Amino acid sequence: MLELEKKVLFLQKRLVYLMDIKGELFGDRLVPLQNWLDTLKSQLYTLSAAELKDSLDKIAAQIYLYEKEAEEKLTPLDYVRIVRHPFRMTLKDILENVYDDYVELGGEDECNIDPAVIAARATISRKVGNRIYTYQVMVLGHEKGHGEEFRNGGSAKPWGNAKALQFMQVAETEGIPIHSYIFTPGAFPIEDYPGAAQQIARNLYAMAGLKVPIISFISEGGSGGAEAIGLSDLRLMFSHGYYSVISPEGAAAIEGKLKEGEKAPLDLVRRCAEQLKITAKDNLELGTIDRIIQEPPLGAKSEDYAFFQQLKKEVIKATDEVVLSVKSLSALRAYHLKKNGLQDTSNIYIRWELNEKEKQKLVQKRRQKYRAMARNFYADLRSPWQKKVEEVKNYFLRVKTYFYFDLLKRPRRRLERIGEDIKAEAHVILSYFFSPFIQLKERFFPPKQKYYFKLEYETEVYETEVEDTQSNNGYVSPLAKVDKTITCPNAERCGCYDIWIPDLYTDLCGICPNCGHHFPLEYQWYLNCLFDKNSVREFNAEIASINPLGYEGFDAKLNQAKQKTGRHSAIITFDAKVMGISLVVVMLYTDFRGGTVGAAEGEKFVLACERARLLRRPLLAYVHGTAGIRIQEGTIGVIQMPKCTVAVREYLEAGGLYIVVYDNNSYAGPVASFLGCAPYQFAIRSSRIGFAGPRVIRETTGTEVPPDYHSAENALKRGHIQGIWDRREFRKNLYMALRTMGGKNLYYR
Amino acid sequence: MARVLIANRAEIAIRVMRACQALGLEYVMVYTEEDKESLHVRLGREGGGKVFRIASYTDPNEILEIADYTKCDAIHPGYGFLAENYRFARRVTLRKRPLIFIGPRWEVIRELGSKINTKAVAQRLGIPVIPGSDRPIYNEMEAENIGMQLFHLQWEEGIKHPAILVKASAGGGGMGIEEVTDLNQLRAAYRRIRRYAKREFGDEGVLLEKKLPVFNHIEVQLVCSRHGERVHFGTRNCTIQSISRQKRIEVAPAFDIDYQYQFNPKEVIKKIIYYSLKMAAYLDYDSVGTWEWIVTPEGKFYLLEVNPRIQVESGVSGLIAQIKKQPRGVDLVKEQIRLALGEKLKYKQKHIYFQGCSIEFRIVAEDTKQGFRPWGGTITKFKFPQYDWLKVYSHVPQDRPYTIPSNYDPNLALALVWGKTVEEAKKRGKQLLEEIEIEGKNTQGKPIVTNIPFLKEKINVILRFVTC
Repeated sequence: MLELEKKVLFLQKRLVYLMDIKGELFGDRLVPLQNWLDTLKSQLYTLSAAELKDSLDKIAAQIYLYEKEAEEKLTPLDYVRIVRHPFRMTLKDILENVYDDYVELGGEDECNIDPAVIAARATISRKVGNRIYTYQVMVLGHEKGHGEEFRNGGSAKPWGNAKALQFMQVAETEGIPIHSYIFTPGAFPIEDYPGAAQQIARNLYAMAGLKVPIISFISEGGSGGAEAIGLSDLRLMFSHGYYSVISPEGAAAIEGKLKEGEKAPLDLVRRCAEQLKITAKDNLELGTIDRIIQEPPLGAKSEDYAFFQQLKKEVIKATDEVVLSVKSLSALRAYHLKKNGLQDTSNIYIRWELNEKEKQKLVQKRRQKYRAMARNFYADLRSPWQKKVEEVKNYFLRVKTYFYFDLLKRPRRRLERIGEDIKAEAHVILSYFFSPFIQLKERFFPPKQKYYFKLEYETEVYETEVEDTQSNNGYVSPLAKVDKTITCPNAERCGCYDIWIPDLYTDLCGICPNCGHHFPLEYQWYLNCLFDKNSVREFNAEIASINPLGYEGFDAKLNQAKQKTGRHSAIITFDAKVMGISLVVVMLYTDFRGGTVGAAEGEKFVLACERARLLRRPLLAYVHGTAGIRIQEGTIGVIQMPKCTVAVREYLEAGGLYIVVYDNNSYAGPVASFLGCAPYQFAIRSSRIGFAGPRVIRETTGTEVPPDYHSAENALKRGHIQGIWDRREFRKNLYMALRTMGGKNLYYR
Repeated sequence: MARVLIANRAEIAIRVMRACQALGLEYVMVYTEEDKESLHVRLGREGGGKVFRIASYTDPNEILEIADYTKCDAIHPGYGFLAENYRFARRVTLRKRPLIFIGPRWEVIRELGSKINTKAVAQRLGIPVIPGSDRPIYNEMEAENIGMQLFHLQWEEGIKHPAILVKASAGGGGMGIEEVTDLNQLRAAYRRIRRYAKREFGDEGVLLEKKLPVFNHIEVQLVCSRHGERVHFGTRNCTIQSISRQKRIEVAPAFDIDYQYQFNPKEVIKKIIYYSLKMAAYLDYDSVGTWEWIVTPEGKFYLLEVNPRIQVESGVSGLIAQIKKQPRGVDLVKEQIRLALGEKLKYKQKHIYFQGCSIEFRIVAEDTKQGFRPWGGTITKFKFPQYDWLKVYSHVPQDRPYTIPSNYDPNLALALVWGKTVEEAKKRGKQLLEEIEIEGKNTQGKPIVTNIPFLKEKINVILRFVTC
């Protein structure tokens, strides 16, 4: 009887689940089934077991039919519901059912640094013939729990992501693969140390060079939070999961320009969910994931044990695939694989440890993989002829730099170093040898005292010409043309006088002379005033943003932005000079769709990194402002985070200097990736830096943040940035930074 | 009839007001709450002008508001406050309802606002400047290098204890200057001044100069019109200063002809006037202005800075000057306003004669024995004798008690004496200092402290080279 009661409960649960996910499809059709089950439950001890069993089988069959019907009619928004349902499988279910055993690291349940993130040392075994092989792996991921509050819905706090990073590094030391399971609606947007954005950036940067295989599985991939553990060699996605740049509700709030507290109409949310292309199938088409793991109808729940067995095979297969792609195999296994395809590895044993060379190859392959992502989602407006010319030019540049740096400069420098050492050694010997004679000579012929001498420095000091700082290169801000005054926002506190606008936007550089508040300036001001006169040379201007997902109404908005700015994307990449030092600059500016980053922006950023690396020049990212990832590009946008971070890491490892300077408002994805991972990050005074704006914080965490929560001062206090720069000293500070910071492979070193 | 807004306080406001009255111009005056007892408020009202209360003498918004409200045509900034603020001058002349700024063109004010720039211009014209850095120094290594050069230079000259001055380029009136006698302290002093300059003036330019142990501070008074006419009104000697380098006694002319200097004073004066005019011509200077020079006992001279405004001590030069057949005494404030309104000079250099000697004393409530600390309290009695050789400019009422406002400098009066010779002027000066009656006490009931004893002591060494 107990068995049957359990079955009744199980069916009831399935019915509830069905109603939760797709209730509106069936209307009242589910009610009879529900009533029937209720009756059966009440008559549990009056009916005969056979009768009961018979009825239950009928109900089960009916439910199964309904489930199949529902499965066929799933809309993108339904996937969101499935993933968020408390019955949905969680990482703990996977750990218990897929892995043989596991030990949680960094806390268990409520006693945890961050209960939303699990790090576990686990074993997984495979049978080859009669032999069982056990592998050690590091399992990382978000734990949503089945409705427990302390799990925070799988929203990782900054220290949760830090924990993940910590154990990734442990895995790297121990040389075991990492399986990361993404079950997060997004990162918890708080700035407390280590900071939501900064920690994600740190994770991405680390993963870009982690020397062990990383395989990620996406169930709920909520934008930046997902990327925090998502940069991997193989990205798999559960068939009923979603992977998106923003929750459909969030997109609806932006799309519908909703006021705070207003609920988005269901229709709009559904439309947004469809437009954002969040399902596994869509993502596979976009190339943001590599494969789909099929789940049972309406998604895997905690009790779908058969699915977990399937998943186990998939997990092993995926790890094999990554390992094999870099391993130099012995001949027979290679033959077997050649015959049966790379993915059939069920009959052979493959060691998951890699040697140094294979590790290098692994990282290299990972970088290539990300480099190639999202390449079809921007337009190149150059004619084929122009493209050819550029290609040839680039080729010549490559040859030239190889010749100059690798063949000429490096050996010469090596020789010079040896020479210096010999000279220094000789100096010691000679001074021992000659000092008695010199003393003797000085006693009889005291030297005439030399008064004037100039010291010589080891590194030559760049002679600056007297600069006329007041002329601003002759550039006058269009803001300055109004004969009015403006009140400083700190007037009440600091007693600032109203400032005459023509003063403010000319020689005051937009700065209150009393309290130093920085008023925003247009990005052209920086183009004109920051760099040496006539030194700015833009490149890749023809790479244009498009509407890759066919997002409704976005084409018009994009065209509007293009017309307004006369540019094709929200990023400007150019060569420039600061007091004679050449550098490559990327500039994100707000005038174009709020400085959001999409495929074109990402590509231009990566190309700029490559150019800086090739020419051994410093790389400056000046962020005039960014609102985050462009949501209309969906996961194409999200993928720019790892893609650009990988490029940054490659550049930095080549011995470059990467400086990020934030201005105005810089938020979300870019800060949480390729900007936040910079070793040197500075902010212009009065700017704001963060992960999510105050409104999003209020809505997701339910807490109010103070008005200066994202201020540069607080970012500095929390250690997110390394300094605050006055706009008037930007040029000078930048020059100092170029001279004193950075790796050894800069052309002027 | 033009209407002038007098955007200043105290003594200079009264002087400008009188000049306006003499020229038959209407005027508007302003004052702050702390200044309501100042004589300029009462005299302004009695003279028939409008007087408005404002919150601050340094807020351009409020001042321009009043200028618009009262339909003024011109603004006189006096000295201090907004007088050398080129942004204010620019705003006044470039706004939609432009006004005449009674002072030089704003471009000139900007040019001369930076000591480094002034030095650069001077060097371009072959005018001698004090040895030191000739462009902004922005790092310590450079500063030390230059500092070392300056020390060696002085050792070579046989100076046993050399010293250099670290100056903020944008500083003025004795602010942002530090003396360094030990090369090891240079770095720290340089950093201090740079920080100070950045905070106070928003410009971290710093320059290093050799410190001259003994020197005289000489000024050349120029008067230029908007029509390219330029004349000088002789020289002044402003060597007697407080420890914070604020002038206390000014004498015109700059040197005592009867005294035996190591050099020929006439030669030096001729040269510095020539250079001052040369630079004014180069800048196309178009108002009254003062070229400040440093002269060493050996007769070497260096340009120090240029003050593009009417100065406190303009009166002494006026007192010894005479134009054509008019009686002795020229009001340079009047000339400034007249020329700013676009009039021509109407006389030439050859029409200007100088007669006798004039000495100005700045009567200040300060304790000269305690580092010139300002004294605050209420003046109960303030009385000057009356002579035809004496002129007094003061905003302190003599018929009622007056509390010195603590927000502004505690200047009480300018007393100018004139004599046929230096000796006579000195004698009359001593007599005056004896006869001034001043009484008052502070909140603790302690009697007033003034700098009169200091002035009495220093009058003996005017026009001489004395080691401080």
